[in-house]
Amino acid sequence: MADQKMPDGPWQEPETTIYRGMACGGTGGELSAIDSKNGKVVRIRPIRYTDEYTEEELEGHLWSFTARGKTLKCPVKTAPPYQSLAYKKRIYSNNRVKYPLKRVDWEPGGDPDKINAQNRGKSKFVRISWDEACDMVADEIKRVRSQYGENAVLAVGEDGHCQSKLIHMVGGNHINMLMRTGGFTREVRTPDSVEGFYWGAKFAWGPGVQAGLGMYDNGWNIIEDVSEHSDMVVMQAGDLETTQNYASQWMSRVMRFWMDIGIKLVVVDPFCTYTSVCHDEITWIPLLPNTDVALDYGMMYVWLTEGLYDVDYVETHTTGFDKLKAYVLGEEDGVPKDPKWASERCGVEPWTIKALAREWGRKTTSILHYCGCHVRGPYSHEPGRTEVYKLAMQGFGAPGVQQIHLFSYGGAKQEIRATTSGPMMFSEMHAMQFYPADQSIPRTLIHRAIQNGKADWWGSPQIIFAMPDEQFEHNFYPIPEDEGGCKVHMLWSEKPCNQSCWNGGFEFQEAMRNPELECVITNHPWLENDSLFADLVLPVTTPAEESDIVGSGMGDSLEVAAVQDAAIPPVGESMSDYEISLEIAKRFSPDVAAQMAQGMIDGEMQFGLTIEQQKRSEYERSRVKNEISWEELKEKGFYVPKLDPVWREYKPNARLFYEDPDTFPLPTPSGKIDFYSEELAENFPDDQERPPLAKWVEGGPAEEGWSHDETLRGERAKKYPFLVNACTGRWRFHAQCDDITWHREIPTAKVVGKDGYLYEPCWLCPEDAAKLGIVDGDIVKVYNDRGTVLCGAKISERILPQSVMVNKGSRSDPITSGLDRGGNINLISPAGPISKHCYGFAVSGYLVAVEKVADEEMAQWMNDYPEAFERAYDPASGSHYAGWVEGVE
Amino acid sequence: MKAFLIDLNKCVGCYDCQIGCKDEHCGNDWTPYAKPQPDTGQFWMRVQETEHGARPHVKVSYVPIMCQQCEDAPCIKVAENGAVYRREDGLVVIDPVKAKGQKKIAEVCPYHAVFWNAELEIPQKCTGCAHLLDRGYPIDHPRCVDNCHMDAIQFGEESELDLADTETLNPEFSLKTHVYYRGLPKPFVAGKVYDPETEEVVIGAIVTAKEPVKNEAWTTRTDAFGDFWLRNLPKADLNITIHGGGKSYEGTVSTKEKSVGMGNVALK
Repeated sequence: MADQKMPDGPWQEPETTIYRGMACGGTGGELSAIDSKNGKVVRIRPIRYTDEYTEEELEGHLWSFTARGKTLKCPVKTAPPYQSLAYKKRIYSNNRVKYPLKRVDWEPGGDPDKINAQNRGKSKFVRISWDEACDMVADEIKRVRSQYGENAVLAVGEDGHCQSKLIHMVGGNHINMLMRTGGFTREVRTPDSVEGFYWGAKFAWGPGVQAGLGMYDNGWNIIEDVSEHSDMVVMQAGDLETTQNYASQWMSRVMRFWMDIGIKLVVVDPFCTYTSVCHDEITWIPLLPNTDVALDYGMMYVWLTEGLYDVDYVETHTTGFDKLKAYVLGEEDGVPKDPKWASERCGVEPWTIKALAREWGRKTTSILHYCGCHVRGPYSHEPGRTEVYKLAMQGFGAPGVQQIHLFSYGGAKQEIRATTSGPMMFSEMHAMQFYPADQSIPRTLIHRAIQNGKADWWGSPQIIFAMPDEQFEHNFYPIPEDEGGCKVHMLWSEKPCNQSCWNGGFEFQEAMRNPELECVITNHPWLENDSLFADLVLPVTTPAEESDIVGSGMGDSLEVAAVQDAAIPPVGESMSDYEISLEIAKRFSPDVAAQMAQGMIDGEMQFGLTIEQQKRSEYERSRVKNEISWEELKEKGFYVPKLDPVWREYKPNARLFYEDPDTFPLPTPSGKIDFYSEELAENFPDDQERPPLAKWVEGGPAEEGWSHDETLRGERAKKYPFLVNACTGRWRFHAQCDDITWHREIPTAKVVGKDGYLYEPCWLCPEDAAKLGIVDGDIVKVYNDRGTVLCGAKISERILPQSVMVNKGSRSDPITSGLDRGGNINLISPAGPISKHCYGFAVSGYLVAVEKVADEEMAQWMNDYPEAFERAYDPASGSHYAGWVEGVE
Repeated sequence: MKAFLIDLNKCVGCYDCQIGCKDEHCGNDWTPYAKPQPDTGQFWMRVQETEHGARPHVKVSYVPIMCQQCEDAPCIKVAENGAVYRREDGLVVIDPVKAKGQKKIAEVCPYHAVFWNAELEIPQKCTGCAHLLDRGYPIDHPRCVDNCHMDAIQFGEESELDLADTETLNPEFSLKTHVYYRGLPKPFVAGKVYDPETEEVVIGAIVTAKEPVKNEAWTTRTDAFGDFWLRNLPKADLNITIHGGGKSYEGTVSTKEKSVGMGNVALK
């Protein structure tokens, strides 16, 4: 054995450490430590709260509870999402934009011959200076406003999921600047994660959490309630091992704890989820994508006919039950929604439907998901409502009968924390983006508004702060000219992923090529997705490069506040979105920039603050200041707030309604859970797609007034015989992190094609693969009448016949119009609304066909579009910067 | 003597151990402990992922495999100039300078845990993050251990680890390894038992697997979903009998190659 004494060397060189929540959900997530040396990140790792505080100091700050004889403790070590732990590859991705870029064949000024709009997504970029870039942006804003109207600039990218920042906040900085210098058109963030609850559940139990999301506003102690009282937890479309990475991985521990204390976990999902496959204890019940309503009604039929529901609760806590009963039993339409009927639609055998219904009806059962892909398909308001109906029939709010979602995961109420649904640190500037603008367009309608020059829709439809009745307001773009209405002629995006996350991606790509859009700008750290269709790309820093004050946010085991210096200098010439907006503001007036840098120092409003002063200001405006001094917070780097002394006394909100519905009514017209919505009946009496009572809606031909024909039972299924499950991928977060080399080599992340390209997996079951003559690893095309995306076949028992899975969020790699090599499945999602009156998106559970790509076909494409196939490509990280920028080595 | 204990019953397949290893060693030079690990394609900590069973009885095993810290390490024996050595704490480390050009160090490992870095011309593998252990900051244990949010990987003095019910990988190699596993994947047979006449699952049916040569048997009952899981079976041809609700099933399966998901099993 050798002597353990090692020679001195670089291995001993000191490193500096900062603490930073940087989950891709955008609200901080559990803290990680970034260790750096000589201006480079060395590692990113979990932290222990004991790194900076003694156990005595943490007394009364970390919760624990005992249920069924076992204790669950708040972990001392954080569980950052796995994207955070691999973020070094994101920071140093070879897809990073290091300098401002201009598309080679675009010139500012709006001359149709010089903008070459038709080449967006085709032509390459060239490096320019920041001065040139900022001048162009400011000049174009001024020109477009004067030429077309004050509101002719469309600001895209308010809110949503992104890198976790506060002062440097992604999304909304451009709005702040545009607001202070004139008008703009606001792109409204739609209820993307919660469509079915937003458009459906709201009419059953009220607006829900954050005044509009449509998921129940749970309040505190949901995890504890479930631990003590639930016998079974059903994850109907809720792959927690994937989706919890919004912020944390701590729900892994909770699920392990639940199984250890005897709670049964059941996964009902088109995919044998990552949660399902890693535990022997979990039962998987596969169903076809977007058929949850059929399964739900099949189960309700069993409950009704076998008396397996809470008769008293339904009597005292709900209205309209007679209408539900009539529909389910077939009294309304002559069709009983029995297990056989359900089985023919959802693909679950009748015996399994009955077994699940009886277990659910007899055992105290909660539903668990993050938001769920079951509410992101065509007509998603229907499963959004049947989820409420199921809970209502089983006594929602009773001990152990909960809807557990992303705002339910926090372990305990901390004294300074007001709600379960807000992050610990929240900037007022971030809030500004929710201010109404004169003219707005829903994010789901951008492509059609641009292409048609007009649009109309019902509701705002803003994701939060949107009451149910505002869905009855009819809105228009453009607004009347005398109110400031004008068509948009410039698009500026701080979140360039519309084509990968919202509806009808290929239509969005075509809209970007509309010559009426004279200038398209994106701010983004990476050259991907909508940035490929931009005229100017402004390089943005990642969290590691920014000095900020970012705590954790919802979805964590507990909430902390943290203040940090930049771990490393900016990569290339990148600046934060905030800094970019200030630079452009200066082109209007130095005063505007100073006004934007406002904050509170020692109780006084001040302007022109430095970043350090901004950090202090955010601290002063938060309730963190009640418990720790600024100096101490800076020294420690983070702070774990005290528990509320009576945290255990808070009842889950639904418990109050359960116990006393008269004193604690729901915010619905009746104060109870409404199975049948009188509001919908009154306002949209002829809506066959969203009737007052949720129904199994199959849709049909457009000429008959249907928005969708996207089921296996319709006419289109003859041509496109597979339902695609396009839920979020395990190794990305929505459209983020597709370039992390260490993730891409994980077997479920990508499929290596025979041409060496790493294709996005198209998961197929062995039976369907055999029928199609497809073997594992084949290059396949997944297509419908909206276009074609190329994927790699991944053959697995985790998939049902008649369905495939292509996770959303793989980056676009355009070959030509309507043809993509990157496997961005969202490009072929339905481009229209969820249903006639609901302009949300339907981005999963729609029809596609799958075929093996013949060598001749690939050869033809290579011959027809050589520039697309010759672009620089690195299998390890995918399509990247060097493929799109001229003059890069 | 240091050892790893990997409890697969706690593992959730997040790959944080594999990622943590890469984060520590790709692009970071810890000479004299190790030169940087290539960014992709090599795995000093490798999660071996395998799908088992058939719809709807599907599970995936995730087995983290790294240098097994052998006492009788073939890599030490084959190395020249003492290029591979065993530290006092038992960790086996490759000296990146002395090992230059010695490809056989990589080739000899029966666990395929040593990789040949063609660019640097050196064999490389897990060091147990000895550089962190020795310097003690910012953490004093291996990154795979630190990254694991389920505490599925433990590292410490072997005498202080609870090694009850653990196994080692390929004990037939007889290399006296110091990585211990709990819950290594074993064959299963699973199915969903139902009565086609009543279209009901059969709950509480008795399911028996018999291995006819040794005359061993395993038995279980179906649960509320009609499902049965016979776990920890040998690799063998098995006779399956099921009795429930006055009806029965008889059949044969083989776990010699892989676990078996029988899908819906109708009783007659």
